Amino acid sequence: MLSLLVLIPFVWLILLVLPAGNGVAFVRRVGFVGTVILSIIQMALVLIDPFTRWSLAPDFVTGMFKFALHADSLSTVVLLSIGLVVFTALFVGRYTLKNAVRFDQFVLLTVVVLMGMNATVLVTDMFSLYVFIELTAVASFMLIALNTDDKFGIEGSFKYLILSTVATVLMLSSIALMFLTTGDVKFDVVSVIAKHNDTAFYIKLATALFLCGTFIKAGVVPFHGWVPDAYSAAPSAVSVLLGGIVTKVAGVYVMIRLMTTVFGLTIFTHNVIMLFGTVSILVGAFAALGQNDMKRMLAYSSISQIGYIILGLGCGTPLAVAGAVFHFFNHAVFKSLLFVNSAAVEHELGNFDMSKMGGLSQKMPVTSFTNIVALLSTAGVPPLSGFWSKVIIIIALWLSGQKVYAGIAVIASVVTLAYFLLMQRKTFYGQLVPGMENVKEAGMDILIPEVVLTVIIIVTGILLPFVLNNFVLLTANLVR
Amino acid sequence: MENSILLLPILIPLVVAGMVLVFLNDKFKLLNVIMFLTAIAANTAVAVLLFSAEMDYTLPWAGFGMDFALKVFKFNSFILLAITFFAVAVGLYSISFMWKKTGISQYLMYFLVTLGFVNGAVLADNLILLLFFWEGLLLPLFGFIVVGNKAAFKTAIKAFIIVGISDLCMMVGIGMTGFLADTLTLSEIHLPLSTMGSIAFVLLIIGATAKAGSMPFHSWIPDAAVDAPLPFMALLPASMEKLLGIYFLARIALDLYQLTPDSWLSTLLMILGGVTILLAVMMALVQKDYKKLLSYHAISQVGYMVLGIGTCVPAGIIGGVFHMLNHAMYKCALFFTAGAVEKQAGTTDLQKLGGLLRSMPITFGVFVIAAASISGVPPFNGFFSKELVYDGTFIRGQSNPVFFVFYAMALLGSFFTAASFLKLGHAVYIDSARVERKDIKDPDWWMLTPMVAIACICILFGVYNELPIKNFIEPVLMNVSGGGAGASAEVTEDTVHHGFSGWPSNWFLVLMTGIVIFGAIINHVFGVKKGGGSGLNAAEHIHYAPGLVQAYNAAEKRLFDPYDIGLSLTNVFARILYWFDRFIDWIYDKLAGEIADAVSLRLRLAHNGDYSLYIIWAIVGTVIVVLMIM
Repeated sequence: MLSLLVLIPFVWLILLVLPAGNGVAFVRRVGFVGTVILSIIQMALVLIDPFTRWSLAPDFVTGMFKFALHADSLSTVVLLSIGLVVFTALFVGRYTLKNAVRFDQFVLLTVVVLMGMNATVLVTDMFSLYVFIELTAVASFMLIALNTDDKFGIEGSFKYLILSTVATVLMLSSIALMFLTTGDVKFDVVSVIAKHNDTAFYIKLATALFLCGTFIKAGVVPFHGWVPDAYSAAPSAVSVLLGGIVTKVAGVYVMIRLMTTVFGLTIFTHNVIMLFGTVSILVGAFAALGQNDMKRMLAYSSISQIGYIILGLGCGTPLAVAGAVFHFFNHAVFKSLLFVNSAAVEHELGNFDMSKMGGLSQKMPVTSFTNIVALLSTAGVPPLSGFWSKVIIIIALWLSGQKVYAGIAVIASVVTLAYFLLMQRKTFYGQLVPGMENVKEAGMDILIPEVVLTVIIIVTGILLPFVLNNFVLLTANLVR
Repeated sequence: MENSILLLPILIPLVVAGMVLVFLNDKFKLLNVIMFLTAIAANTAVAVLLFSAEMDYTLPWAGFGMDFALKVFKFNSFILLAITFFAVAVGLYSISFMWKKTGISQYLMYFLVTLGFVNGAVLADNLILLLFFWEGLLLPLFGFIVVGNKAAFKTAIKAFIIVGISDLCMMVGIGMTGFLADTLTLSEIHLPLSTMGSIAFVLLIIGATAKAGSMPFHSWIPDAAVDAPLPFMALLPASMEKLLGIYFLARIALDLYQLTPDSWLSTLLMILGGVTILLAVMMALVQKDYKKLLSYHAISQVGYMVLGIGTCVPAGIIGGVFHMLNHAMYKCALFFTAGAVEKQAGTTDLQKLGGLLRSMPITFGVFVIAAASISGVPPFNGFFSKELVYDGTFIRGQSNPVFFVFYAMALLGSFFTAASFLKLGHAVYIDSARVERKDIKDPDWWMLTPMVAIACICILFGVYNELPIKNFIEPVLMNVSGGGAGASAEVTEDTVHHGFSGWPSNWFLVLMTGIVIFGAIINHVFGVKKGGGSGLNAAEHIHYAPGLVQAYNAAEKRLFDPYDIGLSLTNVFARILYWFDRFIDWIYDKLAGEIADAVSLRLRLAHNGDYSLYIIWAIVGTVIVVLMIM
């Protein structure tokens, strides 16, 4: 059953590619609708009954391909995020990529990304994990450079490619080292050995290398160089996908999975992760402060929020990990919403330069309102969802004695609020810039994901006990 | 009856207020009026059902002992019924009065909110819940004054601040009481008057009496009388706030902290009451506006109530509570007549009125009855409640002759009350006409019915005063919270059954009252002669009496207004804080801002887009990570 989450996108992809040539229009309609339905089904599966459904029926794929799939509470949250962001990205793509060929390519590549990410989340051995990370990465390179006539897109894609290669080297070396020392790549086998010998030289080296690899993928400072360029150069729909889920699954999810399940959080890894997390928070926040390019600012903000997630992870207590996973989900939601809004603005105005914008809330009231909700959630303002996840992380930090880190996290929230409010002020509030009288509210395609994401932010914030008990606190079991 | 029926007096008005809020535009005024009348009718039904019931109802609310606990027993079921009665009367009157004015929908909404909150405050059994409703009344208070008259903001803010400060005192008092008693449930609190208890008691008294309108928290009422729509005056300062304030005062003095006659707090209350009576009525005497005059009297009569309860003897307490009820009635009726005059004649300035006796006979009749009640003329209700209060002070005077001074203050107050109403009645009704409008007649039946109904009840409660006293008020003393109280007031079945109804037993008091009223009439005639035959100047000889004229001039310049005094004091503080604030601003705006900008600039410039730089960063990072982990 779990394998269906991987197989169905795969089969769908083949179906979509088959009528290439004369079926471009077919792909455009069916592909879009079908993929949207796929993502909705994925979300529904997770929400309705995450676990019992997934242990139905014998998994014939295991027999065929020799890689096992497994889902637990962490996978639930991540799969839900994946479904949500793919759903959003498709709508944004339909709205912004008016060229039919481009849009088809976008849909196809999105299906590949979906498949890759689902598999990343579900596999149980390190090599398959690597394979699917690479699969997702290759699709991402192409996605970032989708507008082949835009040199910035190609440049951003290139930087991502190069740094991804560095990450690949690090990850592969680590896998090789682990294979050498433990004789297997499966999570359960490796974790037993790793946890028993966590001071052995090769185990530590392998941990360090893999950690660095995931840092690069996740965009943690100082491995983050590609993030601002890739996010701002990619077409808007791709930014949604990238910022919302790809970096996070390939980087953060892998980190969480490995650090909790496989390598275990030793005293050394604790400190490293928390230190780099804090540095990311601060660098991301301060660098975002003076930005005029909307998407670049959102990229730095992503770096900062990912810092929060791995700060929670590094702390290591069950509550902290639960908070980190919750923030993972929340970040997928609010960052996607912010990128969706920037796509709407760019589509209407043609550029991202915030110093030339102003007063758009009169013309685009829905976008303006959803933007406010998203940024308040990012800054951690109650009762929105972002507040709860941040508060959980900060409380967990405080309770485990990391008072300095907790304090820095709180102060960085202020800076986050600062730059976001500046952004809102520059783009939406204030006087309407002359020349923008013809701007209209964004079309239905964008309004649907905007509204859906806003509702999710608000509902998750208000119905917190339900969310906590059914999804978030279960992930605390990862470290018990 | 299900216990959750206790939620209805709160929920019905608030829910309908919400619905009116949706249709706030005056275009929907008919719809709003219908919804309003339905709510009032439903509320009346529930209040009648609940009368004399004993039940409680609790919902968990905010944790930490702050429950949504409601309780009804004899005392507050009676208050609930009284509130409902006034809601009906003022409601009907308001609809007619406000119908042609702007803002009627807002007015109705505030009315309903007030009703819901007052019901909640009366029914609340938890100190914090009481506080919530009590303070919540600040909002409709503000709203009422602002409705339809944008220039009334200053007055609204003044009212808000004054009542807010007293509410703040009450909040502290409630906090202390809750702490001392270790519980927040009102019906369980019976505390002795220790030092901290006395402080808490005083703070609570401030809250309760200020709500009722006694000095020194009174100065917003005359201003509101001029600026706010008139039925608001009949609703809040005249009836609801009195009911609420004196209800709470009785609870505090009899229930929460059993006040004994020999404590200094009883003396404090009596002083407060006496001073209020005198000062306010002196101000009332010289007013030249119908509404302002009435509002000063509202303040003055609260003094009687506070004095009565402060005597801590059964006669005085019953007198105080009965006076509250009576006052609510006749003050309401008096404000109704003022509203009728305003609507029909277009003004309430005494210099522009006169001769309305012939044009508005029914209004004049109501006025006469209500004025006689407030002056304490038998056989109207005011006479009986005032006699009980005099009796209370007299009894205290017998144990300590100094206390006779309170009796003297109350009596003098009566003198001036009678004098000012003689002046008012003469100037407005009996004088020759100075009005500008020609076709003045009595107002329509929406406004007339409540007026006349209340006037009839004034007569009823006077002549047949057993009805209210035995059924409503004596049980109060016996059974204030259903848990035994008034023990300090030495109440036994005996004293109660001896009865406080019927004609007062102390003939000396009645004689003195008669002398006072007679004296007031003589004074009035004298003043009229001196003032040239018109009722307007009937009080001028007092106004310009040596010694008093300076005081009156100072009061005219608002020198005695505690609010204005407070404002000028705060000016000094404001200056100091302003400079301190500049400094903090500098830290936040300049210092923090420039540091953040500098850091940000460095960081942004570092990201120069050169991927080889990025790779170097990554490699350096890797080395650091490896070193840290190894």
